[in-house]
Amino acid sequence: MSIIDLTSMAKPQEDIKREINQRLLKLKEELPDYCYQCAKCTAGCEAHKLLELEPHKIVALLKRGLIDEMTNSDVIWTCMSCFKCWERCPQKVAPVEILFALKNLSVASGKQIPGQYTSILQSVLTIGLIQDIQTITSKEGKTIDRTALSLPQLSKPLEPMKFQAVIAQLAMEKI
Amino acid sequence: MARIGVFVCQCGVNISATVNVEEVRDYAKTLDDVTVSKEYKYMCSDRGAQLIKDAIKKHKLTGVVIASCSPRMHEQTFRRVVEDSGLNPYTMEIANIREQCSWVHDDPKKATEKAKTLIKAAVAKARWLEPLQSSSIAVTPNALVIGGGIAGIQASLDLADSGYHVILVERTPSIGGRMAQLDKTYPTLDCSSCILTPKMMDVANHPNIELLTYAEVHEISGSIGNYTINITQHPRYVDMDKCTACGDCAAACRLKDRIASEFDMNMGKRSAIYVPFPQAIPLKYTIDVDHCLFLTRGKCGDVPACQSACVRKAIDFSQKSVTHERHVGAIIVTTGYDLTDPAALYEYGYLKSADVITSLELERLISSSGPTRGEIFKPSNGDKPKSITFILCVGSRDQTAHEYCCRIGCMSSLKHVFLLREKLGDEVEINLCYTDIRSFGKGYEEFYRKIRGINTNFFRGRPSEVRPINDQLSIDIFDTTTNKLFEITSDLVVLVPALEPSITSEGIARVLRISQSPDGFFLEAHPKLRPMDTFTSGIYIAGCAQGPKDITDTVSQASGAAARAMTILSKKELEIEPLIAQSNEDLCSGCGICVSICPYSAIELIEDKKGTHSHVNEALCKGCGACCSSCPVGAMQQKGNQDTQLLPMIKETV
Repeated sequence: MSIIDLTSMAKPQEDIKREINQRLLKLKEELPDYCYQCAKCTAGCEAHKLLELEPHKIVALLKRGLIDEMTNSDVIWTCMSCFKCWERCPQKVAPVEILFALKNLSVASGKQIPGQYTSILQSVLTIGLIQDIQTITSKEGKTIDRTALSLPQLSKPLEPMKFQAVIAQLAMEKI
Repeated sequence: MARIGVFVCQCGVNISATVNVEEVRDYAKTLDDVTVSKEYKYMCSDRGAQLIKDAIKKHKLTGVVIASCSPRMHEQTFRRVVEDSGLNPYTMEIANIREQCSWVHDDPKKATEKAKTLIKAAVAKARWLEPLQSSSIAVTPNALVIGGGIAGIQASLDLADSGYHVILVERTPSIGGRMAQLDKTYPTLDCSSCILTPKMMDVANHPNIELLTYAEVHEISGSIGNYTINITQHPRYVDMDKCTACGDCAAACRLKDRIASEFDMNMGKRSAIYVPFPQAIPLKYTIDVDHCLFLTRGKCGDVPACQSACVRKAIDFSQKSVTHERHVGAIIVTTGYDLTDPAALYEYGYLKSADVITSLELERLISSSGPTRGEIFKPSNGDKPKSITFILCVGSRDQTAHEYCCRIGCMSSLKHVFLLREKLGDEVEINLCYTDIRSFGKGYEEFYRKIRGINTNFFRGRPSEVRPINDQLSIDIFDTTTNKLFEITSDLVVLVPALEPSITSEGIARVLRISQSPDGFFLEAHPKLRPMDTFTSGIYIAGCAQGPKDITDTVSQASGAAARAMTILSKKELEIEPLIAQSNEDLCSGCGICVSICPYSAIELIEDKKGTHSHVNEALCKGCGACCSSCPVGAMQQKGNQDTQLLPMIKETV
C-alpha cells in the first residue's frame, strides 16, 4: 500500500493532510477532497495573472498529500487573500484558507519565507503595524505627514516586550 | 375524361410573398383536364377544406391537385378532405410550392414559373392516379419477450398486467440476468435482489406469462401482428414437476465445488447439477451438460450420484430438447450485455495475476450471498487487501477497443468504493483511476460528492500498465490534476471493462432479421424519437441490448417498449397503407435483385405455375421504392408511384 510521486519520490503526508483538514473543519470550511478540479478559482485568481499562483493545483496537491512541495515553495506566499476563490468555488472549497494553513505550516516548521514577509513580521512584532508611519513628498515638493492631513497620531506599544509576547501567543494559537 | 381541380395555397405570406398565386391559379385553368382552379390564404384551414369539398362536388372532380407545402406536412389532412367529399383519397396529388419553391427562391418571376411547372407535373400525374384501397390484417394479441433480465421482466409484466399473453424466453436456467448478480444498486444502495426477486416472483406467478427458461428462439416467420416462433428448450435432465430444489443432488454430485460458477463470475464453485443462485426462478435444478460426468463420459460410478440422492426421482437423463411453436403479434428483444474480456487489454494484467479482477467479479465478492459471503479477500492468497485500485474505462472510449462509454462504470465504481469503505474501514487505501467521472442521473452527482468525501484517492488518467511484483501489483499512473507521474502499489486491482452486446445478439439479429449498429448493439429506428423501435415493424428493443445503460434507464425503456408493442397488440386489425410495392408476376423474371435490396425483408421469391417470381408481403413493405428502382424489367411497381404515373410528370417538366 503506497503511492509515490515518481519525479520527487515523495510520499503522501497523510498526517499533515489530516491536520489541515481538521483546521478547515474548525473554520467550517469544506474539505479539499470535494474539489473536482474545475479550476474556476484559478480562472479568477488575481495572483495568477502576475505571480502564477494556481489555487486549483494547490488543492489537487493537498488532496494527494504532497504538502512539503508547497510549503517549500514561494508560490503560496503570492496569494493576495482576496477571497475570490472562496466566494466562487462551486463545491464550497476554500483555496484561500488552504493557503493560510500552508503558510502557517511553513512558518511553524521554520522554513525560509520570502524576505519582504520577514520585515513585515518584524514590523508587526515591534510596532504593531505592517510598516511604520511614513512622511511622503508630494509632486509639488511638499512634505506631508499625518498632522498635515489632520489625521490623529497612531499609538505604538508602550511595553514592546509584553506586546511581542501577546502577538506571539496569538500567532501560535492560529497556527 | 379526367376532371381535375387545382387548389393553390398562399400559406399566409409563406408562398404568396414569392410566388404570384393569382397568376399560378389562372395558369392552372389553362391546363388540359383542369376543370376548376382556386387559390386561398390557408388551404389547410377549415374554410380552405370546405372550399375544396364544395368544388369537388360542384364540378364532379375525378382528381385533385393541391399546390401547397410538403406532403410531410399536410398530405394526410388533404387526403381526409378529399375522402370526406366522396373521392378516393389516393386520387389527390400535392405540388410542393413552399419548401421546394417559395422558401428557397428570391426571384418572384422565376419562382412563379417554377410553381407553374410543378403544378403542370402534378396535374400530369393526377390524370393517371388510380383509386387505392387500404387492406387490413388480424392481430394475434400475444407478445414474445426474448431475454429474462430486468428489461425482459419489466416488459413482460407491463404487457401481462395490461391483459396480453406473454411468452418470456430465457437462455439460462433462471431469469434475473445481470441485476441478480449485483449486491447493491446505485445511488440509493438498495439491495439488488431484494428489489428484483419480487418482480421475478410476479413473472413466475402471472397467469398471463408463459416462462420458457433454458430455451432459445431459433426460427421466426410471418410479420407484424402475426409471427410464428419456434423455440428450442434444452433438456435440464431434471423433471421440473418433481424437483423440489432440496439440493440433495448437488450435495451428492461427484463434482461438488469443482466447477466454476458462472453466476459468481467464476469466483465461486458449484456442482455439475445446480441452481445458479438461491432465488432462481424457476427454482429447479439443471444438469450442466458440459461438465456432468455421466453426460460427458457416460459413467458416474455405478449409478449417477445425483440420481441416487434424489428421493423424488426427478433426475431424467433421457430428456431431449423440445421445440415449442408459439404465435405472437409483437416481439421485444432484451438480450442484455456481456463484459468485454479484459484480457484483450493485456497491459492491465488480467491473466497475469489473480488479484486483477473485474467489476462484476468484485460485485460477487462484495455480495453477502456471494462465494465469500461478502468478505473481501485477495483471490491469490486469501489476505485482506490494504490497498485497492480501480481502473475505469477498460476498453471503453478507446479507438482500439470500444469507442463508446459504458455509462455504468463510473457510478458502479463509486458504489463499490462506498461498499468497500463500509466493509473494510477507514484504514484501507482506495484509489480510483478515471478518465472523466460521468454522474449524469438523478441523485448521481450527489453520490459522487459523497464518495469524494470518504477519503478516496482520485487519479485523473489511465494507467499504462499493471505489473505484478511479488504478491502485489504496481501501477504507473500520470495524474493530470497534479501533473505528476505516480506509482501505486496495491493488493487488489479492479478493472471496469466496457459493455458489449450479449454474445447471443448476432444470432438473434439473424433470426429476427433486425439490424445492429457498428458497435453490435441493436439499431433503433431513430436515436431520439423511436429509440425502442427497430426497422422491422412489430419488433422492439430495450435495455442494454439497444446500448449500454443502467437499471433506471433499462426499466424505463422496457416499459416504453411494452407500450410500443401494445400499439399493435391493442388493435384487432392492422390497417396497411396501399402505397406499397407490387410485383407484376407475368413480367418478373425471378432474378431476385429486389429480394436482396429490400431493407425490410418484405420480398420473397416464390414458385408457382407462372414460374419463379417475386412476391411482396404487404404487412412488411414500407413503400420505400428501393425494389422498384432496382428492377431491371420494371416488373416491380409502387402503387401511387407507378412508371405510368411518374413518366408523364417527367415529360411535362423536361
